Amino acid sequence: MKLTTGLMATAVAGLMALPAVAEDKMKIGFVYPSPIADVGWSAELNAGRAAIEEHFGDKVETLFVENVPEGPDAARIMNQMAAQGADMIMLGSFGYMNDGIKLAQQRPEMTFIHASGYKLAPNFSNFQSRNYESSYLVGMAAGDVTESNVVGIVAAYAIPEVIGMINGFALGLQEVNPDVTIKVVWLNSWFDPPKAQDSARALMAQQADVIYSLYQDTPSVVTVAEEEGVWVINTSSDMKAYAPNWLLASQIADWSSFFIESVQASMDGTFEGTAFWGGMADGTVDVKSWSDKISEGAMARITEAADAMKAGSFHPLTGPVVDQDGTERLAEGETIADPDLLGIDWLVAGVETRLPN
Amino acid sequence: MARLVLVPRETATLLAPLQVAVLALVMTLLGGAVLFVIYGVSPLDGLHAVFVEPLLTRYGIGEVLLKMAPLLLIAQGLAIGFRAQVWNIGAEGQLILGAIAASVLAIRFDGTDSQLLLPAMVVAGMLAGMAWAAIAAWLRTQFNANEILVTFMLTSVALQLLYFLVTGPLKDPMGFNFPQSISFAPNAVFPIILEGTRANASLYIGLAVTLVAVVFVRYSFASYKLSVGGLAPGASFYAGFSSKRAIWVALLVSGGAAGLAGVGEVAGPLGQLQRNISPGYGYAGIIVAVLGGLNPIGILFASAIMALVYVGGDFALLSVGVPDAVTGILQGILLISYLACSLLLTMRLRLVREAPG
Amino acid sequence: MDVLIFMVSGTLAAATALIFAAMGELVAEKSGMLNLGIEGMMATGAAMGFVAATVSGSYTVGFIAAALLGCVLSLIFALLTLVFRANQTASGLAIGILGLGLSSAIGKKYESMTLPGVPDLPLGPLAQIPVIGPMFFQLDVMVYLSMLLIPVTWYVLNRTRLGLTIRAVGESPVNAHALGLRVLWIRAGCVAFGGAMAGIGGAYMSTAYTPLWAEGMIAGRGWIVVALTVFGTWMVPRVAFGAYLFGSISLLELSIQALGVNVPSQLMSALPYLVTIFMLALISRNTLFIRLNSPASLGATFRL
Repeated sequence: MKLTTGLMATAVAGLMALPAVAEDKMKIGFVYPSPIADVGWSAELNAGRAAIEEHFGDKVETLFVENVPEGPDAARIMNQMAAQGADMIMLGSFGYMNDGIKLAQQRPEMTFIHASGYKLAPNFSNFQSRNYESSYLVGMAAGDVTESNVVGIVAAYAIPEVIGMINGFALGLQEVNPDVTIKVVWLNSWFDPPKAQDSARALMAQQADVIYSLYQDTPSVVTVAEEEGVWVINTSSDMKAYAPNWLLASQIADWSSFFIESVQASMDGTFEGTAFWGGMADGTVDVKSWSDKISEGAMARITEAADAMKAGSFHPLTGPVVDQDGTERLAEGETIADPDLLGIDWLVAGVETRLPN
Repeated sequence: MARLVLVPRETATLLAPLQVAVLALVMTLLGGAVLFVIYGVSPLDGLHAVFVEPLLTRYGIGEVLLKMAPLLLIAQGLAIGFRAQVWNIGAEGQLILGAIAASVLAIRFDGTDSQLLLPAMVVAGMLAGMAWAAIAAWLRTQFNANEILVTFMLTSVALQLLYFLVTGPLKDPMGFNFPQSISFAPNAVFPIILEGTRANASLYIGLAVTLVAVVFVRYSFASYKLSVGGLAPGASFYAGFSSKRAIWVALLVSGGAAGLAGVGEVAGPLGQLQRNISPGYGYAGIIVAVLGGLNPIGILFASAIMALVYVGGDFALLSVGVPDAVTGILQGILLISYLACSLLLTMRLRLVREAPG
Repeated sequence: MDVLIFMVSGTLAAATALIFAAMGELVAEKSGMLNLGIEGMMATGAAMGFVAATVSGSYTVGFIAAALLGCVLSLIFALLTLVFRANQTASGLAIGILGLGLSSAIGKKYESMTLPGVPDLPLGPLAQIPVIGPMFFQLDVMVYLSMLLIPVTWYVLNRTRLGLTIRAVGESPVNAHALGLRVLWIRAGCVAFGGAMAGIGGAYMSTAYTPLWAEGMIAGRGWIVVALTVFGTWMVPRVAFGAYLFGSISLLELSIQALGVNVPSQLMSALPYLVTIFMLALISRNTLFIRLNSPASLGATFRL
């Protein structure tokens, strides 16, 4: 009995102590879907958190929880953050959208930024990257280095973002080398290192000499490519260290400027729920660690395309684009509209594998 | 010379289960304290965060009740089978089938005003859970196929079925190709029973099932026959002596209960069908059943304690900053302590003096 | 041809972790002990093996550390079931949960890190044979050891006094006890062997097969191991065959996808489980056959 009262007393003291600290500092919570490692999706988001801390210094306090499964438990973590006085929450995965929106409606004084998805509220923004832009560039590099003219993709899920990236990749590849066969293995998982690796080997066995590791959160595919001496491209952070010889390029996303802007807007009271699309132009999307084995001619064309994208004069998904069934999806000169991109459910001609189901 | 020996208890006592439970809990607290010390957290703060903090706020209590509902349902169902030595370890799969069946109705009849929708979903979910478990019962009674393995493997199959449905036939057509269904209408979700929390009326189903289980175990001849079937000579792993009827009853009851738990999730905190509908409730339910001593009242308390450990573990992530591994390790310690102590249910320690030599 | 080489060599590698763990579990089950905690022991072995190999720079140290920790976990299971006479199913599940938590805690600081991986060991001139060489003789040393473990386990169980003792204990602990066999110690020994093998199997995943540590990477393989012992009706060659079959089916799914054949991937992912259920029903139907091969006391608590 005594013990319980003692514990209760500390709890009350603890609760009363909280607001005093929270008063002057803005508290920002981060919810990550996977464990934070040196590389991967959560690592990229966590780099954004570090950027916020560096930019705002003493004015902010951040807290984070990693490896939060999408599902009924994520809401508890968000609510717990809110209860601890968080003023803003970053939600790092699509599966947090519905619970996040609910909490945003209950807590109009808080602000939320959410990775991907399509729902918005006045205090709930979502952010996505125009990764298909950098996919187009690495596709050009793949078209340059392939000798077997077979390129393999190890892809997570057939969600619009991934489909858009495959399409960007394929169009860039065909721009440089129209005769390439593109094979896809769908893993139906963000995270299954042994299976991702087996898929890469299965593709190599079928003559693929460039492997595109699309949203595999670990260096699984990258390491096997280095081991086998096959070109590899990866998404989510630079993985040069894992494949010093055979990494063709790394697609990266840098969320710092968007995160910092959102925090500033929350501080100033000017936050609006918007859909943020970060691309090459604003520096959110980029390619790092280009291999020096890419031919000079190809590299020049890549730089040219990258510059055009940064200047806003070139959109990778520009017609004429025909899908796998031969239906024209984009007419000559037509570029895909953002809402269509958000729900894209077709692959361009030249990709051998169909979408699952 | 004196030594401690184990002697069988002459009479069954009501005190014994209580002693065992208290002893196991004390051992878990000690183990937890050591765990927190390893993580550099004051043991009192850590234990406070896990076992007390969730109970200090209305929201926390609601979360514990929310988590308790599926655990209670599943464990009550499983315990009936376990008493007959029928080991259904595939409650997770039966839960998924229940969730699918309920979702099919909610999606198909979206827009109807009928208040019968939710009751129909409950019935459909229960039947689907039963049907999935019936496969195992049929294979066991007809072909002597071990139910532990069949129910387990059917869980993997159920998971793939769920993945197929949320990316295909049951996908929200307006959901931008993301793997999830539409959000259910208000008449397809359980009402909230504690204002300001997520605790919903599916808990009442769990409590009703508990009541039925008490009556069943106390007064019913069927229960007696089940236990006899279970205890019959050689009713071990593969002998197949236990009556076919016991197997059918055990699997249908536990499958139905798990199916109901699945309805509670999609028509509760989730409000839609998606890929992650259960963070392993089906397996946790096994622990709860054993912790509760396979006794309906014991299971009621065990489910509350397990729910507390889950929710408290999440609270501890933020309030004292320990990794999520702590929840799993604590659950393991709790179960191991209980299993070790449960010897005292049938035996007691006695000091025996022996003549030297 | 490349596809064929990939399928064969890939299957041998994919089955290696399963073979280690399944041979260990088989020995434990032959003594009457059903340990359902394999998944947790493999996960812990994977984390421990990776961390130990990284820190020490030696794969041998990694495998030994993984085996020892697997042993410790399985001995908790032995303590619960043999000394405290707790139910085997529940105790196994408890070990499984504890092991998964433990693996996450051990591997925390090493998440997504990689190792060069246990090097391949070409077997001299054999490795030079076209097609056959790359299929069978250019693999890593653990693959060869797992292949060696199969006949050794068979020999020990069926042709030695130790094997006879183990089977006697599994068949009837009461009779074995009456004959003066130390039932508890023999069972504990078999369980410890099973734990060590599960630890090694897990460590193979993290230091040779994938080679990286990521939480959750065992992804149900421990449960496959339990299924394999039944699938193989507790006969060593059949259990081994089951492991290779399972490995090849999972690779076949990916190869077919890569060929561009439009298969519903979820159906393919469910296929190994459906096949195992089907085989299980087919084999179990013959009760006499099952009775002859299964340890009669499997899963039952032993009381003197």
